[in-house]
Amino acid sequence: MGDTATILTEVFFETISFWWVIVPTIFLGLIVGGIPGFSAANTIIILMPLTLSMSLETGLIFMVSLYCSARMGAGIPAILVNIPGTAGAAATPLDGYPMTKQGKGQQALAMTFVASSLGGLLTTIIALAAMPLLARVGFYMHSVEMIVVMLFGISLIASIAAQDMLKGLIAGFLGLMIGSIGTDVVYATPRGTFGFLELYDGVPLIPALVGLFAVSEAFMIIEKRLIITEDAQKAMARPSWHATFEGVGIAFKRWWHITWTSLIGLVIGVIPGAGASIASFVAYQQSRSFSKTPEKYGTGHPEGLIAPESANNGVTSGTLVPLLVLGIPGGATAAIMLVVMQFHGVSFGPSLFEESPKVGYGMFMAMAVSYFLMILTILPLSRYMSRVTTVPTIYLAPMIISFTLVGAFVPREYMFDMYLALAFGILGYIARRTGYHVAAILIGVILGPLLERYFLWSLKKSDGDISILFSSTLGNILWVGLVLSLIVPIWLDMRRKKNAQKDQEEIPIQ
Amino acid sequence: MPLDPKDPPRQLGGELVIPVLAVAFTLYYFSSIWNSPWTAQVSAFMVGGILLLVCAMFFLRAILWLSRGQASLGFGNLFSIEDLRTGRIGLIATTVAFCVFIDQLGFTLTTFLFLALSMIILSKGKSPLLIVAISAVMALGGWAVFIWAFDTRFPRGWFEGVMQAVIANG
Repeated sequence: MGDTATILTEVFFETISFWWVIVPTIFLGLIVGGIPGFSAANTIIILMPLTLSMSLETGLIFMVSLYCSARMGAGIPAILVNIPGTAGAAATPLDGYPMTKQGKGQQALAMTFVASSLGGLLTTIIALAAMPLLARVGFYMHSVEMIVVMLFGISLIASIAAQDMLKGLIAGFLGLMIGSIGTDVVYATPRGTFGFLELYDGVPLIPALVGLFAVSEAFMIIEKRLIITEDAQKAMARPSWHATFEGVGIAFKRWWHITWTSLIGLVIGVIPGAGASIASFVAYQQSRSFSKTPEKYGTGHPEGLIAPESANNGVTSGTLVPLLVLGIPGGATAAIMLVVMQFHGVSFGPSLFEESPKVGYGMFMAMAVSYFLMILTILPLSRYMSRVTTVPTIYLAPMIISFTLVGAFVPREYMFDMYLALAFGILGYIARRTGYHVAAILIGVILGPLLERYFLWSLKKSDGDISILFSSTLGNILWVGLVLSLIVPIWLDMRRKKNAQKDQEEIPIQ
Repeated sequence: MPLDPKDPPRQLGGELVIPVLAVAFTLYYFSSIWNSPWTAQVSAFMVGGILLLVCAMFFLRAILWLSRGQASLGFGNLFSIEDLRTGRIGLIATTVAFCVFIDQLGFTLTTFLFLALSMIILSKGKSPLLIVAISAVMALGGWAVFIWAFDTRFPRGWFEGVMQAVIANG
């Protein structure tokens, strides 16, 4: 214990001394995270020769800071212009963008920076303290349990559909059908690909994200001179630090909300293969389900913004646990970190913390220090970043289209993906104009293939016996949790309405 | 039943586009897996079946509204004269052209042309010099960051080729 404390103290001071690497990397991460297609993983791959030429310490600190800041950066365009930088930020605009339209963009940014940093910092400390315990989570989460986790996220479609249930369900199930395009995971039979080889691996997420959110939004915003309302524009003509402090205050007041939603992210993050998109949808849905004011979600509610942002930053620390303790990368960025560490001859698994404890603890420390420095460096910028919304839409819309369409090309480098983004853009535009929720379509596209994969693995294991879905203790506990999370909010809502009616009846008639 | 001019019937034509597309796609999807192993079919038949059911319910609701005179088959919420006036049709056309020409002309030149043309259409020809300057700065900025600094494989044309030769020869 004493040795570990000494190592941690040493590692902390060593990591702090690398501030000159961390601070510029934070800004790089914010930029690449904000442009769809330029995720942290892609940027690290592009800069791989540079990373490999660095010392192991510098290289790992660079990658970890880039990973954390890119995750936070993805939320910025999601809030300001309704374009999530990555699939992990797809739930952020649900409440972030309505806040911007009301002229509260600066406040929303400050809130998301605090929620992301606190969520990331907290889960990093918990991951560091409970590493052996968390590493076992992956062992208990089999395909059956993962099906229920996916359903937690997919149940968000029902919440989105609340205004017009039929339209919401059509959008959600259309998304799930689109997500089923590609070969099946058992026999690789091509399905619904229209004969395009580029769709055999399934519908790529970035073109879907770019089309449904960015391109369709650009076609929509040109109706108005600015994204924000006239009143909001007048308020923004007198910029002040007040909105930033207000956002910080709102976020700190909801410290408990940040804590539990970031823990959802941490637990989902340690499961190899699960990711930030699942975590953010699950966190948003759970936040809404147990809120006293669920009707405010989707209208610019602070908790609807805090939940997905805390959760997707909780995932960041979670993905390091299986990587370091078991040598299993939990996502694309973790896989690239594995390559760099192997290049430097670092061994993985429990022996890592005995043979190279400074590397093992150093990665978590780099994450904690990055989150700490991030809040100090980014928070003051919220005042200036929110000014993007004052750019007239005649300039903003073409810029959004050109840079995001090229972003759709980047991950796979197929021209096909640009056409696909355009097709999704037109679908998204029709959906927006006619009252279908694009977020419901996207949830289906993202979570549909994952749900199908786990479902097929389960059926394959049981020779087609569907009762396998209720065969594990943990799975059954999760099923009960899922049912409760769907029923309890309805019951709470009914009770609230009943109480309100009772109160009204008790008011004496004058 | 006389219609209230203040409350015109809901225009359902546009709202039917997504369900019609969903039904068409689901039927095509089913045809592509008809003779496939059960692993390829099970999930799609479940999801597609529910989608067809929900769409059928939507169509029934639409028929009910139409028969009661509460809705019409107009497309006013999807297409209107405003789309021409605001330049939206022009923006959609330039976006399609951007995708078509970027492979031949390269990222920088296509981005410049797309930005300039789209902004001129949207601003109805106002401030052309400012628009050209903004487009040039954005396109060159994009080239400098993504192609020159990051060396990404963005589509390249003669501009990128010339710049590569200039940089290589000092």
